Amino acid sequence: MVLIVFLATISHYAIYYGGLIRGYETSWFTAIRNIGLLGLLAVLPIFLKRFAKFEGNWTVYTSAVLLFSIGLTVQYRLFSDPEYVSRKDKAEARQQKIKTLQLHYIQENYSAEKKQMMGLLATPPSPVDLSLETPRPATDDSLSSVLFSGKTINPLLGIFGLIAAFFLLRRDKFLELLQKNGFLIVLLTLAPLIIAAITSRAGKSIGNMTPWEPAKIPFLIGFAAILAVLYKNLARTYWGVPRAKDVLPLVFMAILPFVPFFVLKDFGQMMVFSGVYATLYLIAVRRFSQRFVLVGSVLVMVGILVVGALPEKTQEKIPLLPTLARPVKQVLPDRIQQRFHLWLDGFNPPTPETTWWKEDYDDYYKKLVEKDPNLPQMLEEDPDLQRTINIDAWFDVLAFQPAQATFGLASGGTTGRGLGLGYPELIPVADSDYIFAALAEELGLFGGLLLTFALIVFVSAGIRTALDSRDMFSKLCCIGLAAFIGFQALVNIGGITRALPMTGITLPFVSHGGFSLITSFVMLGMLMAFSHRNAVDRRQNNAHALP
Amino acid sequence: MNLFFLLQIDWNKYRPENLFGGQVLERTPAGLSIVFIIGVGILIGFLIITFFDNFSRPRFVFEQNLPREVTRKLTQTIANRSIRVWQFVFILLAFTVFGFQVYWTYFADDSNEQFQALAYKDLRTRRTTASNLRGWMLDRTGNLGASLAYYKVNGDGEIDRTFSLEKEMAHLLGTERGTPGLERTLYKMDSDPMPEAWEILTKYKKPEPEKKDVRITIDRDLQAYVAKQLEGKKGGIVVINPQTGDVLAMYSNPSYNLTEAGTLEGYLKLEADKENKPLLNRATREFYIPGSTFKTFTMISAFRAGRTDLTFPGRPAPDCYTPFRGSKPICDAGGSCHACAENIPLREAYKVSSNQYFAQLANALGRDRLAETARILGITPTETAEEALEQGNFPDFWNASNRRISNAISPARSTIVTGKSLTLFDFGQEGMGQGMAGQMTPFQMALIASAPANLQGRLMKPKIEADVQPQMFAQVLTPQQAAVMREIMSTVTEESGGTGGRVKAKLAGTGIVSGGKTGTAEKDNVPAYDKNGRRITVKKRKKGENGEWIEYQETVMRRRTDGWFICIAPLENPQLAIAVVIEDIGGGYGGTTAAPIAADVILKARELGLLGDKYKPKMPAISPKPKKKVR
Repeated sequence: MVLIVFLATISHYAIYYGGLIRGYETSWFTAIRNIGLLGLLAVLPIFLKRFAKFEGNWTVYTSAVLLFSIGLTVQYRLFSDPEYVSRKDKAEARQQKIKTLQLHYIQENYSAEKKQMMGLLATPPSPVDLSLETPRPATDDSLSSVLFSGKTINPLLGIFGLIAAFFLLRRDKFLELLQKNGFLIVLLTLAPLIIAAITSRAGKSIGNMTPWEPAKIPFLIGFAAILAVLYKNLARTYWGVPRAKDVLPLVFMAILPFVPFFVLKDFGQMMVFSGVYATLYLIAVRRFSQRFVLVGSVLVMVGILVVGALPEKTQEKIPLLPTLARPVKQVLPDRIQQRFHLWLDGFNPPTPETTWWKEDYDDYYKKLVEKDPNLPQMLEEDPDLQRTINIDAWFDVLAFQPAQATFGLASGGTTGRGLGLGYPELIPVADSDYIFAALAEELGLFGGLLLTFALIVFVSAGIRTALDSRDMFSKLCCIGLAAFIGFQALVNIGGITRALPMTGITLPFVSHGGFSLITSFVMLGMLMAFSHRNAVDRRQNNAHALP
Repeated sequence: MNLFFLLQIDWNKYRPENLFGGQVLERTPAGLSIVFIIGVGILIGFLIITFFDNFSRPRFVFEQNLPREVTRKLTQTIANRSIRVWQFVFILLAFTVFGFQVYWTYFADDSNEQFQALAYKDLRTRRTTASNLRGWMLDRTGNLGASLAYYKVNGDGEIDRTFSLEKEMAHLLGTERGTPGLERTLYKMDSDPMPEAWEILTKYKKPEPEKKDVRITIDRDLQAYVAKQLEGKKGGIVVINPQTGDVLAMYSNPSYNLTEAGTLEGYLKLEADKENKPLLNRATREFYIPGSTFKTFTMISAFRAGRTDLTFPGRPAPDCYTPFRGSKPICDAGGSCHACAENIPLREAYKVSSNQYFAQLANALGRDRLAETARILGITPTETAEEALEQGNFPDFWNASNRRISNAISPARSTIVTGKSLTLFDFGQEGMGQGMAGQMTPFQMALIASAPANLQGRLMKPKIEADVQPQMFAQVLTPQQAAVMREIMSTVTEESGGTGGRVKAKLAGTGIVSGGKTGTAEKDNVPAYDKNGRRITVKKRKKGENGEWIEYQETVMRRRTDGWFICIAPLENPQLAIAVVIEDIGGGYGGTTAAPIAADVILKARELGLLGDKYKPKMPAISPKPKKKVR
C-alpha cells in the first residue's frame, strides 16, 4: 500500500515535470488530493482490521487500489493539460505549448546572433533551466474547487459505499433477505431505470452520466438468487426437458435487464450483462446439453450480428453472404451498424450514401460549402474530390476518436512515450471510455500488460472467493461480481484495441466516472464481505472440529 | 537525533531532475515513468506471489488426516470446476485483447496498408512538425544577416517563419499547399520525431547540436536585383556559375506572395489567374521558342562533329535557302540575307545570326548528330512531334543531396524532334531555333550557354545547396573547342555588326569581355486577354452534323514576340551564364530588350564580387543606379 502511494507520487511528479516542459503548471492541489485519496485507501485496511475485524483476503482490495492509482495518474495527466481541459481555447492552448517547445529549442541551440536577429535576448546557447521559467498557472488551482469537484467526491462516495456494502453483506440476515426477495429487487430497480431510459439521449443523460450503472448490482443479486433456487431443479428433466415452471422465471429474469439497456442503446452494458449471465448459467447448470443450448444460441446470435454488420466489400467476396446479410442489416439499429463498421473497417470510410453516415456527411459537406461556395462546381468537374471529402469527413467526425486512439496506441511502443510526453490530449474524452488509449500511449505495451495483469489478479482473487464460498448464492454472487468487473474491462480495452466493437463503457476503477466508479467500489466492498464471511465460516468450522 | 541526520543530506542531489540528468529535459519524466512501470510491475509480481501463497487453500482441521484423493474430491464440486474453466477462459481472453495492442504497436505499421496510408491523419505528426523548427536558409555568403528564410518573433510574441525575399524567391521556396519547393524539401527530417521513454533515456544523453541550417547558392542581393529588373514584364531569368553549376539567381515574373498563397482563398485566386499564371515558374517550367539563341546548340553540335569548317551560301530573297524543290524558303530575319555571300563561315554566320546558314548546318550535320548533342545537354530527342509535347520533368539535372530537392525544383523536360518523318525544311527550322525546337525552358538555355563557358568544356550539374561538391553532367566539348566557341560567342557582343552590341556599351570601362547570343521568337496562337484578365472571345457559327448552325465562342488568338538573350561573362574565365527571356516585347528584339538586362546583371554581379577580385570595382557598392543610364 505504501508502495502504491509512493509510485503515485513518482508518476505525478513526472507529469508535473512533463507539463513544465510544455510550459504549463499542473495543479498541486489535485496532486495532493490524489495522493490523499490513495493514502486514505492505504489506511482503510487498518481501520477495517481493527474495527470491523476483517478476516478475509486483501488481494482483491490491493489490486483494485492499484488499478485506481493508475487511473488517477492518467486522469491527472489529462486533466492538467490546458488543451485537454479547455473547451473554447483549445487552439490557443495548443499554440502556447508549441511555442514553449520552440523557445526551448531556440534557447538550447541558437547562437546569440541568431537570437538577436529573431528579436529575442541575445544569449549564447545554453541548456534550459525550468526553475527560471514562469509556467502558465494550472487551470483550476483553488483549494475549494479541487476539494468539492466530482473528482474528489465520487471516490469518497465510492469508499463510503465500499464500507457500507461490506458492513451490510457481512450480516447473514441481510444476505438471506436479499436471496429471498431477488425478484422484488429486480422489479424495484427496473422502475427508475425505465424512467431514466425515457428521459435519456444517446445512452447518456444528465451531462454524460450513466445513473443506471448501480443497477447492475441488484440485477446480479436477483439473477443469482433465482438461479441458486432453481439450479437443482433444472437438472431434473422430464422427457429430456426441464419443467417450464423452472425455466420460465429464469428466462424472464435474464431478459428483464436487457429491456432498459436496449431502450437506452447501451450496447456495451448489454454485452457485459450477457457475458455475466452466461457465466453464471454455465457455472450453475450441471447438464452438458443444457449448457450447450446456451453456448450454441449465443454463438448463433453473435454470428448473425457480425455477418449483418460486415462491411459490404468483405461481404461481396463471399458468395451468398450479401443475401443473407441484407435482412439483418435492415433490422440492426444504425448505431450498431456504425460501431461494427468502425470496428471491422474503421480506416475505410463508408460511401456517403450509407444510411447511418449520410446525415453526418451532409452536415460536414454543408459546412464546407459555406466556406467555399465554388465547391459544388468543382465536384462536378472532379468526381474524385468527393472521395477526398468523404475521407476527411470520416476522420473528422465519426472516426476521429477511434482513429486518434489507435494512432496513440501505435505511437506508444514498448515503454510508451513517458508520462507527460505523449499526446493523449488529442483524443477527445480520453479520461473515461478511452483511458486505455491514453495509458497505452504514455506507458506503452508494458503499461497495457501491467493493467491486464492487475485485472487478472483482481478477477482471480474474486474467483478464489467464489471457490471458497459454501452456498450457491454467495458463490454465484462472487463470480458475478468478478465477472462484471472483468468483462467490463475486457469490453472496454477490446473496444480500444479493436478486438471488439467500441461500446462506450468505462474501464472499472481506472476511468474517470461518477456512478461507474461508485458502483465498482461497492462491488469491491461486496467481494470483500464475501471473502470475510468465508474466512469466518472456516474459522468456525475449524473451531467446531477442534474439540 | 535521526531527524538531525536527515537534515544533513543534500536533498537537492536526489531531486529526480538531477538523478536522470537535466541536460535533456525529457529525461526526467521519461525516467520517472519507467521507474513507475517497474514499480507497478514489482507490485503486481508481489501480488501474484502472495496470491498463490494465501490461496493455497487452508485445510480444515478434519481434513488433515484424510488421504489426498479424498481431500481433493471434497472441494471439487461441479460448480467449482466450471469456475476454474471460466477463470482460464477469462485469462485467455484478457491476453487476446492485449495481443491486439501488440498488433497495433508492432505490426500495424508494416502489415496494415490502410493504416500506413492514413498515417497523415495522425494529429501527432502534425504536432511534432509544428514544434520542431526548420533550419534557417542562408544565402551563398553564409552570413546570418543575409538569411533568406528565418524565424522572427512578431508583434504578438509568436514565432513566425520569415522570408527576406518573399516575393522574389516565391517560386524557389514553394508554397505549403501546392507543389513543394525548397522550404519543404531542403531540411533534414528528424530521424525519429517521437522517441519512446527508454530511447530518451538511452540515446538522448545531451542536447544534440543543431545542424539544420542550409546555405544555398543563391546570392541574396543578386536575386533581389534580378527580380527588380523584371518588374512589370513577364519572363524569367536564370543565372548560373558555369564552372561549378551554382545557381546564383533564378526568377520568374509575375510572382506571388507566400503568405497569400498560404491561405486557401489566396491560393485559388492565384491559380485562377490564367493570364499571368503567377504560380508558374517561367524560368524552369514554361516552354518558349528559343529563336536564334538555339543556334548555340547547333554550333555545339558542329564542334562535336568536328565540322566547324563548313561554309554555306546566304542568298537574298525570294530564293534564300530552299531545302528541296517546292519547299518554302528559309530566309534571315527581315526576309532576306544578313550575310549575303557564297561561302559564309560559322563565325560570321553566328555573329550576324544567319538563319540560312544554321538551317543548312543542321541538315548537313544530320538528325543523329543533333539528337546525340541534345542528349548530352539534357534535352530529350523524340521521334514525333506528339511525343515532344508530352509533359514531364527532368530532375536528373540537379546535383542535390536528395531526390526530393531535385524533384521540387526540377525543370520541365525540354525536347526536340529528330525523327525521320521530319522534312528538311522542318529540321532546318529546328537548327535555327524555330518550329519544333519550341520546347525549351530558360533554364535549359542557360545550361546550353554554360557548356562552352566552362573552361573544361563540361556541362556542370546545376546545384542549389552550397555545400554540395560540383558534379559534371557531361563532357560536351574539349577545352580547346570551348575556348574557340567562347571567342565566337564574343563576336555577337564585342564586334561591330553583332546583334548584342548593347551589352558592350553597358560594360564599357569595366574591362569585362562578354559573349552571348540574342534571339527573337514569334509564338503563334497565344490566347488574348482583355483589361480585366478575361479571355477575349468572338461568337462564331459552324454547321452542325444535321446542317443546322451552332453558335460557339472562340478565343481570339494572337501572335506574341519573345525576346531572348543568353550570355557568358567574363570571357576568359566565365563566372556567369545567363539566360533572359522577356515575353511579349512587341516590335523589339532580343538584342534590345533582353540583352540590356543581362548586361545590368553582369554589372551587379561584378559589384557583388561574383566575377572575382580582378573585376571588383575600386569603390564598391556606391552607385549601382547611375550605370543604368549608360546607353
